[in-house]
Formats: sequence, structure tokens, C-alpha cells
Amino acid sequence: MTASRNIYQCIKAEITEVIDESPTIKSFVLRPEREFEFKTGQFVELTLDGFGEAPFTPSSSPLEKEEIQITVMRAGYVTEKIHQLKPGVIMGIRGPYGRGYPLDKFFDKEVLVLGGGCGFAPLRSLLYNLKAEEDKIKKLVFCYGSKTPAECIYKPYINELRQVKKFEVYRSVDRPDETWTEEVGVVTNLLDKIAINVDDSVAVVCGPPVMMKFGTLKLLEMGYPEDNIYLSMEKNMSCGLGKCGHCMMGKYFVCKDGPVFSYDEVKDQPDIWQ
Amino acid sequence: MSKIVKLSQENWSDLLTGMAKDYHIYAPIQYSNQQDYELLNEYNIKDIVYNHPKPATPLKTFLLPIKQNLVKDNRFKPSVILGIPACDLSAVNILSEIYLDKDFKDSAYEHRLENYIFIGSDCYSMQEHCHCTSYGFKPYPTENADIVLSRLDSTVFLQSLTPKGDKLIGLIESKVALVKALEEEINQINDKRERITHQLIEKNKDIPDYTKTGELIKQAKEEIWKRYADTCVSCGACATICPTCTCFLLIDRPGFEKVRQLDACQLPAFAHVAAGEDPLHELHVRFKNRYMCKYVWKPEKFDSVACTGCGRCIEACIGKINKNELFVELNRED
Repeated sequence: MTASRNIYQCIKAEITEVIDESPTIKSFVLRPEREFEFKTGQFVELTLDGFGEAPFTPSSSPLEKEEIQITVMRAGYVTEKIHQLKPGVIMGIRGPYGRGYPLDKFFDKEVLVLGGGCGFAPLRSLLYNLKAEEDKIKKLVFCYGSKTPAECIYKPYINELRQVKKFEVYRSVDRPDETWTEEVGVVTNLLDKIAINVDDSVAVVCGPPVMMKFGTLKLLEMGYPEDNIYLSMEKNMSCGLGKCGHCMMGKYFVCKDGPVFSYDEVKDQPDIWQ
Repeated sequence: MSKIVKLSQENWSDLLTGMAKDYHIYAPIQYSNQQDYELLNEYNIKDIVYNHPKPATPLKTFLLPIKQNLVKDNRFKPSVILGIPACDLSAVNILSEIYLDKDFKDSAYEHRLENYIFIGSDCYSMQEHCHCTSYGFKPYPTENADIVLSRLDSTVFLQSLTPKGDKLIGLIESKVALVKALEEEINQINDKRERITHQLIEKNKDIPDYTKTGELIKQAKEEIWKRYADTCVSCGACATICPTCTCFLLIDRPGFEKVRQLDACQLPAFAHVAAGEDPLHELHVRFKNRYMCKYVWKPEKFDSVACTGCGRCIEACIGKINKNELFVELNRED
């Protein structure tokens, strides 16, 4: 090997806390062996030593350098195993990778953030970031949907968000229980109830593919220009380096050219909602 | 252009016998029905095949081994690969665009590229599916070779194209006398090159060139993909044997080690994500994906051509899928 940095080498990070967010989602607080910086919307590859690796967009504030929080939905081979981990375990982190949210394009605008399910994870990092830069945006409307109240994640954080002067927060669930006092129905229904000046606004969408699709279609219907809708794409990002080919979406390596794209960049690529 | 030097076949073979004791030298060796690279030793030097079209294995497997630990120390001493056809040498362009990308340089690939000496060789004949000229390449090395080897009867001609090549020719010169090639001999070599170039162009005149392939692929209807993919068994041989296909799987080993293993978009679950989505789930979509990648997306993204016309994918296909027939059909419909 040459003396240059090995792009496949992890840095070690110790799990310091595990937070149950929902029956299928946990957050892991990790303390990397050295300061770790990322921009909101960028992702990391998280390695369970000798077992496997998976991509996650950190859910913590990018302004926090000493600890990083990663929210993991139990969905596959690697995440199933990660869910069994306890504080003290040493994991590996590679990254950060890719292109995050273009915050400069959000400034002096009204920002509409549309999230669904575990898609709240990358969005929380964005919301932390915009909260810290509250004076630079006109307002922020956050619409979040999940299947059931039990599956709504970051419950304590929602109250925190509602205290932010320029933030408005709306939530909806498909199947409410007796405790639920907020909206009922698919998340896109919330868009009919909010007040936002589309001409002076950018929109961000992150969630399961079907929600991303119908969310984007609804935003287009509302009059959002294609280049003012930002999507966080989920593909099989394996190497994170624009080489292994697993995350190719048309001409893009989602890991390197994304994962955040404006809708006009990806609308003509195949299978963007799959 | 550096001078072309020559030596007798006998002296060349003796030289290789001596050098093979100190260096790793790989060269194409003839088997019953094909030829492929072998590590040279004193016994197989006589079986080297010169100026023959492509060996069974593409050059990429030297630069991107089927399996390689990327975190462990991978250093190895400089080695020589002899008898590389021009198509495989040209394929190095796109490999390097991907693996030496300025943002993320793959040091394992870089180390290998630096430590191999490439001796390319002219093709004086063609195989059934060779079509390098359709995509703008010549059947003799013009790039990425350190030395070009040609032959006339029992004389071997060497021309250095790089400082690494100069150094090796200097070493050869310290062991055996090298003589400057005569102009007449150079003309004969050029004649041979022209003849095979014209034969290739003539044989492949119905195959659309690389300026047309992308548009043809984009416009191809679903019926075409379903029909051509009908005998595909998703074995991935086409991609594995392709000199420009470089997709890989990253495997974890204890100690946070990462192993890069050659992978192929033709294999099921290549694009599967944990939440269940898989844009390449259907076989004909997977099949089309490789063509889109090579003829539409890579040309949009990179400067280098993503198919060198070697024809290995046709030879390797157990479903007898012939991509040249596909292109001829698309071109006819167009």
C-alpha cells in the first residue's frame, strides 16, 4: 500500500448509549476515537466487526463532533444484528460520504420538510442544523407521518422542535390509537392543512419509497419547481466511494453524487422510487 | 516515438528463461482450445502464444483480483505481464477513471498499476467475436503499454512507450544485444497491422459504432430486452469476464478488514436494499441494466469507453446471447 489514506479503513467508535425509538427502530450513540465531522444529509458506513456493514445518515446534529447518533431500523441481516448490540461495543465508521443538503439554498426561504417513518433520521440532523441557523430561514414547516403512534420516533425531540419559534410541526398516523390527538391519514394529507408560500420555499422529502413518490407528486401539484424539491435517495450504498456499482441509479452513483438530489436531477433516471 | 529494437526469438526465449527465475512474468500459454495467462517458468516459455487475440482472462483481474483484502498490506514486487492485447490495455482507462478517482483513490489498485510492467502485443489474427475497431480501437497497442511486442518470422521487435518500458529495455540490453529494426521491417509490421485492422472493419461492418450504441440502447423496446434475456440464467459471466466491468462486493473480516470481491449487476439481489426494494429484481431489467451502464450511463459520466469490443461476453454466455446480434438488430430497426 502507498502511504496515502486507505479509503476502506474504518475509524473505531464505541457505543455509549442505545435508545429505543419504536418497536423496530433504535438509536445508537457512538463516540468515535477521534472527532468526526459530517455535513447534514451525508451518510456513513457503519461496520459491525467481521459481520457486515450498512449505510446510515446520522440523525444527530452535524455541529456535534464528539458523538454521533445513528438511528437503525431493523430491516435486514446487518441491522438485525446491530439491534442486539449494547453500550461498550466497538463499531467501525467510514465516511462521511456523498452530498448532503444544500443549506445555502434553504436560507432566506420557507422550508417545508416532509418525512415518513425512519426517514425522520436524516431529517432530524437537518432540523438540528436549521435550528442552529434559525435566523437565516424565514420559517420551517415539518410534516411527519408514520403508520401508528407507537412507530412515531423521537418523541421527546418533537416537543423540543415545537418550542423553536420559527418551526411548525405537524404529525399524522395511518392507524391512530386512543391516545393520539394529532392528524390521521397519510402524511401528504398534512400538506393541505399547512400555510406555506410555495414561490418562496424549498421542500425536502425523506421516507419510504412510496411516501417519497407520492410526497413529491403532491409537492409538484402544489407548484414547487422540480429543482426546489430535495430528495434523500435510498439505494444499496455499499462502498460509499462511487466504485462498487451497487447504488447506481442511472448515471449516478447515489453514494457519491447523492444521496441528496433535487428532483429535476433524478426524474429521468430509471426506478427512482424502487 | 521511441526506436524499435529487435532480437532473435531464440535470444528472447533464453532471456525470458533467465528473467523468470528472478521476476514474476505472466504470458499467454496455449491450451487445447484456448490460451490464458500463466506464470512463466523454464518449462512453459516454449508454449507462449505471440500476437494472438485476447487471452481468456481479461487484464483487469491482475489489477482487480477476484478477491483482495484492502486493509491488509498488499505489497508485492514488480511483475511483468506479457502479450496483452490492445483491447485489454484500452480497458485500463475506465478502470483508472473509477479507481484513481481524485476524491477516493483506491491505493490497492494504484499499487498494482504502478508495479506491473505491461508488454502489449499486436493481434495478427482475430477471433470470431473480436470487434475492437467498431468502438474506435486498433488491434495493436496504442496506449497503456510500457512496451509493445511485435514479431516477424523468428524475430521479436520491442518498442518502449513509457519510462518503465525504457528501464526494462535497458535491463534487457544489459543481458543481450539489441539491434535497431530496419525500416523495411517496420513497414512489414505496419502492413500486418493495417491488414488485420481492415479485416476487422470488414467483418464487423454491420455492427453500429460507439457513437450510435447509446441511442440504440435507449430506444430499445421492452420486448427486445425480454427476448434477448430469455436464455439468460443470471450467472454474471458476461460481467465477470468483461475487461471494463468493475463492480464489487465489500465483505467484512474480523479486525475491521474489508475484502473486495468481484461482483456483477447480473446477479440476483445486486441492488436489493434492506427495506426490500430491488430495482433490478426482474431478469430482463437486470439484463438491460448492463447495456445501459456500458453504452449510456458510463459514456455520460466518464471520458473512457466502457466496451472495448473484445467479445468475451459473447463467448462466455451459456445462454448463447450475442450482443453484436442485438446491436445489429437495433441498428436495422433504427
